[in-house]
Amino acid sequence: MRPMDEKETTVVFEKLFKFTGNNLKNIVENPSHEGPDKDPGRYCFRLHKNKVYYVSDSLVKRATNIARPKLASIGTCIGRFTHGGNFHLTIECLNLLAANAKHKVWLKPTSEMSFLYANHVLKGGLGRITESIAPGDGVVVFSMSDLPLGFGIAAKSTQDCRKLDPNAIVVLHQADIGEYLRMENQSEQLIEE
Amino acid sequence: METETESQKPFQVDVGNLLAFNPFHNFPSLPTSRDELVKECLQEGTKLVQAVADSLFNLPSTEDVDGPLVKLPPPTTKLPREKHLPKPKPPTKWEEFAKKKGIQKRKKDKVVWDEQTGTWKRRFGYDRVNDDKDIPIIEAKMTDEPGVDPFAKRQDDKKKRVEKQEKNRLQNLKQAAKIGALPSHVQLAATALPITGTQAPPKKVTKDELGNVAGMAATSTASGGKFDRKLPGEKPAKKQGKHRRFLPVVEGSGIGSREKEQTENVLNKLISKHSHEILNVNKAVTMYNVKKEKRGRNRRNEEGKSSSATNKLKPKKQLQKKTGKKGPGSSKKGTAK
Repeated sequence: MRPMDEKETTVVFEKLFKFTGNNLKNIVENPSHEGPDKDPGRYCFRLHKNKVYYVSDSLVKRATNIARPKLASIGTCIGRFTHGGNFHLTIECLNLLAANAKHKVWLKPTSEMSFLYANHVLKGGLGRITESIAPGDGVVVFSMSDLPLGFGIAAKSTQDCRKLDPNAIVVLHQADIGEYLRMENQSEQLIEE
Repeated sequence: METETESQKPFQVDVGNLLAFNPFHNFPSLPTSRDELVKECLQEGTKLVQAVADSLFNLPSTEDVDGPLVKLPPPTTKLPREKHLPKPKPPTKWEEFAKKKGIQKRKKDKVVWDEQTGTWKRRFGYDRVNDDKDIPIIEAKMTDEPGVDPFAKRQDDKKKRVEKQEKNRLQNLKQAAKIGALPSHVQLAATALPITGTQAPPKKVTKDELGNVAGMAATSTASGGKFDRKLPGEKPAKKQGKHRRFLPVVEGSGIGSREKEQTENVLNKLISKHSHEILNVNKAVTMYNVKKEKRGRNRRNEEGKSSSATNKLKPKKQLQKKTGKKGPGSSKKGTAK
C-alpha cells in the first residue's frame, strides 16, 4: 500500500472529474468521522496491487500493521490501473460518484434490467436526462426511484438526444450494480454496500 | 506541601561551578500532566538560580569597563572525569628483557670523562664523548677487507643502529596502540595529522556512500552502464531502473501534509484546466436572447396601449450587441451544482 505519485493522481482525478466536475473537491477533501480517534481525519487514496482504494485516515494507519502480501483490500476500491497504465473505475465507486455527480440519467423501469445486464442505454429507455451533457462526459445512471444503478459515458449531447431514434445508444455502459452478482470470482473483493 | 521546612534549610551553592543544589526537594505528589511538571520544575529552578545570583553578588567585585568583575572561588563539587582513565602502558621489549634478566636501571651522569680528548664531555648531544670525528687513527684488524673505509663503516654502523632503534620504538608504540594505551600526545598526533599537506583531516566515506557514488558513476554512460565490462568481483547494481520516490504511507495519523499538498496541487491544476467549461456560452447566449425578446415584447405591449401611429417615428432602441455579452444570467454558471 502506498500513496499515488503525481502522475497516477492526475490520471485518477481526471477520470473522476469526468463524472463529478468541480464536486471532486468534496470527494478529495471529505472529512471522515470513522474510527475511535477524536479529530476527524480525511479520506485518502492508496494504491495497493494496482488497485486504487478510497480509505479513511484512521483505517490507513491501522492497515499499516498488515503485511503487503497479506493485505487483501482496504476501504472501497474505486478503480484499478491496467497493465498499460490506464485507469478504469469499478462499480464500488458508484456511491461516491452518485453523491457528487454532475450529469445524471434516469431510466424507465422497463429498461432497468437491460442496463443491469451490461447493455448500453438506448434512447427508448431514457426517462430523464440532465441538460448540458456533452458527448464523452461521465454520466451516473439512476432508476426512476433515484436508486443509483451504475455509470457510463455519454454518447450524445442532451440536445442531440432529442433528435435520435429510439434504438440509438445514449449512454455507453461502464459499470452497474448487477456486476455484484455476475462477477462471482471477484465477489470476495466487492463488498456488499 | 512542606515549603516551610524546605525554605529553612539552605541550598547548597557551589559558586566556583555556578551550581546550586536543593538536597531537600521532593515532589509531594506526582504532577498530573507534563505541562504541570514543567511549570513546577521551572519554579524550583528560578529559586535555585536566585540563590546562585545572590552568592555571586556577595563576592568582592572589581570595577571593569563592562561592569563589576568577580573572581570565582575554586569549585567545591568534584565533577566526574571527562575522559577515561589512562590505560597502563604495556612494557616495551627492552623492559621485558630487563625484567627477565634482572637488569636494574642505573642512574647516569650527565658528563662523562672522555679519554680521547682528556676532558669532561656530555654523554650525548653537541659536544659528546666518543664522537666519531675525534678519532684520528683507526687500527686495521685482521678481519678488515681491503678497500673498505673504516670511518665510513663506523658511520654506516651508527646509522643502522639508529634505524633499528627507531623501528623498535615504533613497534613498542604500535603494541601500546593495539591495546589502546598510547601516551596522549602521540594519540593526538596520530589522528590529527593529515596524510598530505592540507589542514583538513581525510573524510571517512562510508560503505553505503561509496556504493551510491560507484553506482552513479557506473550508470552515467550513454547506455546507462549496461554494456560496460565489469571488473572481476564487481557485484551488479543494486537498484536497477529509474529511482522513484514515493510519499510515506502514513504521515502522522493518516494523510500527511506532503500528500495533502500534492493532491491539492493536482486538484487545482485540473479544475483550472477545465475552468473554461464552467460557463456554457451557448446557453448563456440563448438565455440572454430570450430575456431580450421578453423585454422587447413587454415594451411593445405597453406602447401598443398608447398611439400606434407614432411608433414608426419613435427611434429604435434595439441596437445592442447580440453575442459576446455574458450578462447576469451567466454568473449562475460559475457555481458548481
